Amino acid sequence: MNSAAAVKVEPKTKKVSPKKRKAKSLDKKKAKAGWVFVAPFLLVFLLIYVPVIFDSIRFSFNEMVNTSSGFLLTFVGWDNYEAAFFSDPLFVSTLTSGLQQLILEIPAIVIFSLFMAVLLNQKMVGRTLFRAIFFIPVILSTGLIDDIDMNNSFASYAEGGMEEESINQAGDLVTAMDLQAIFSTMKIGTGMVDYVVDIVNDVYQVVNRSGVQMLIFLAGLQSISPAIYESCTIDGATAWETFWKITFPMISPMILVNTVYTIIDSFTSSSNQVMNYIGRVYSERDGGNTLATAMYWVYFLIVILIIAVVAGILSAYTFYQRRD
Amino acid sequence: MNAELKVSKKKSRNEFKVNFEGKLTPWQRFKSRFLTLNFLKNVVLAIFRYVILIGISYVILYPFIAKVAGSFMSREDFMDITVKLIPKYPTLDTYKAIITENKYFLALLNTTILSLFCAVMQMVMTMIIGYGLAKFKFKGNTVVFFAVIFTMIVPHQALKLAFFTRFRYFDFFGLIKLIGGKPLNLINTYWPIGLLSFSGLAFKNGLYIFLMRQFFRGVPDELEEAAYVDGSGVFKTFVRIIVPLAGPMMITVFLFAFSWQWTDDFYSTLFFTRNTTYLMPNIITVPPSLDTTGFLAAEVYSSAIINTAALLIILPLLLIYSFFQKYLVQGIERSGIVG
Repeated sequence: MNSAAAVKVEPKTKKVSPKKRKAKSLDKKKAKAGWVFVAPFLLVFLLIYVPVIFDSIRFSFNEMVNTSSGFLLTFVGWDNYEAAFFSDPLFVSTLTSGLQQLILEIPAIVIFSLFMAVLLNQKMVGRTLFRAIFFIPVILSTGLIDDIDMNNSFASYAEGGMEEESINQAGDLVTAMDLQAIFSTMKIGTGMVDYVVDIVNDVYQVVNRSGVQMLIFLAGLQSISPAIYESCTIDGATAWETFWKITFPMISPMILVNTVYTIIDSFTSSSNQVMNYIGRVYSERDGGNTLATAMYWVYFLIVILIIAVVAGILSAYTFYQRRD
Repeated sequence: MNAELKVSKKKSRNEFKVNFEGKLTPWQRFKSRFLTLNFLKNVVLAIFRYVILIGISYVILYPFIAKVAGSFMSREDFMDITVKLIPKYPTLDTYKAIITENKYFLALLNTTILSLFCAVMQMVMTMIIGYGLAKFKFKGNTVVFFAVIFTMIVPHQALKLAFFTRFRYFDFFGLIKLIGGKPLNLINTYWPIGLLSFSGLAFKNGLYIFLMRQFFRGVPDELEEAAYVDGSGVFKTFVRIIVPLAGPMMITVFLFAFSWQWTDDFYSTLFFTRNTTYLMPNIITVPPSLDTTGFLAAEVYSSAIINTAALLIILPLLLIYSFFQKYLVQGIERSGIVG
């Protein structure tokens, strides 16, 4: 009975304002719901996170003294920044060498994770096992474990024999000498050789830090339609051509995401030498906490700059598939 | 009837053989199948692929193998230079000392409670925030999203001091000081980490929100529209339709959140000072009974002890990972991350 009455009433209201009003109110309702969904983030972000950032910046311009009831701040202007750049013996050199290493490592990590994702995406025996092994570092080699593995004298002890250790340091996989001997006849610069040697010796670090990137690339590879590959093979393209003409452009958005993620991840990781150094300044030096905060902000600004430049360059070459 | 059919089938099969394969000897068949360039290429590629995969698997697993080997070694093994990976005088003393003297089980209990609390909270909240960002075109959507990205980029180390002072002398526009006389001390309570987890601002939560957003963007709008037409509200639709869909992604985020909170040494040492809440970072010391001072191979021995502690820390994670690892890839695969 009731529903019949409702049906009868409806046409009358519809005549007054068809469709338009209803659509608008639904959109409004949805927009309101959207605010509700993001409210927890927004509230704490505005009430705690933003003030914390302001505090942090404020502390970097102050000297801090702990008292029984709290802490006392005295404004010192740019003193902390000046101290970081001019009177700290190691900050500038650590910063430059750390950034250099960062810039060298990022391509290695991105290329490696792309390569491994392509390998792990192929059908073969034992794929699930290899995938399981490759994602172990994502779960396990973080935080505490990463710190322990950083200077693991036992692992290197068990790896290298006594005689070897006395000749090469700490059982490196290859030495620069070996490779230079090979490459010197090939007219490849020593800088390039040193870079490759560094990467090979750091392979554990590279593998460890490319887990999430591998996952993202794998997701990207899975989302490419098999029909494209099929038509390529019918047209007679080789695997090499297919990779560069199809796979590479299709996952270029993921390359951008992964590059930015890698920069963020490696510069905030505690195994990073600059972070390490600033961390030591924070805990060991007198009045080091405000000085270290200033150093962090300097470092952060430089890295933001790097991210902006890299993202700007890469996004110019990124290909987005338009789907209608 | 049946017998006849069989006979005719046999006949036809024989004829088939005669007609098409009679000219090929076994050797020829073998040749056409295995001695081609294509087959050779496939074999070489397979060998190449497995060499790389096994080699890198070794690189990944080696530290764990070394940890396991070192954990069973006794003092004598470190004096003996012929012992590298397999102990001559195996012992369980290292485990016993860490479990009893470093109070492993207490740390295990506390860390489990904390990690479970954080992981569940972060999973639910990042899902809600991610859904809000993915599906609602309200004004300021992009601004909020950029705020999320911003929290990802700011190194949490830079905020260490400010976080500590904020929660050590917690105050809310001077309200708490007005009522209680002095600001609250929230250090060594679950409040700071709970508050950050609740709002998706804790460790790496920006990444989780990003993953969730990408996942929900891949869910077709028609699903929700159908639910709206059927008279379901926005929140009911979210609970009834969207949440059941997000299973693999929820497991992925839970796995990340749980294990990264488990091995976290930043927030857990910042918000929980040493003596009150006993967590995993606290067991990484050399137990008194295995004192290495004055021992000839002291450095390697204490490193092996620390490695054993690391092994004990990751043991529960390894169990969880072995159950959930297949969902990890699945969850990310289905997210359809683009740009």
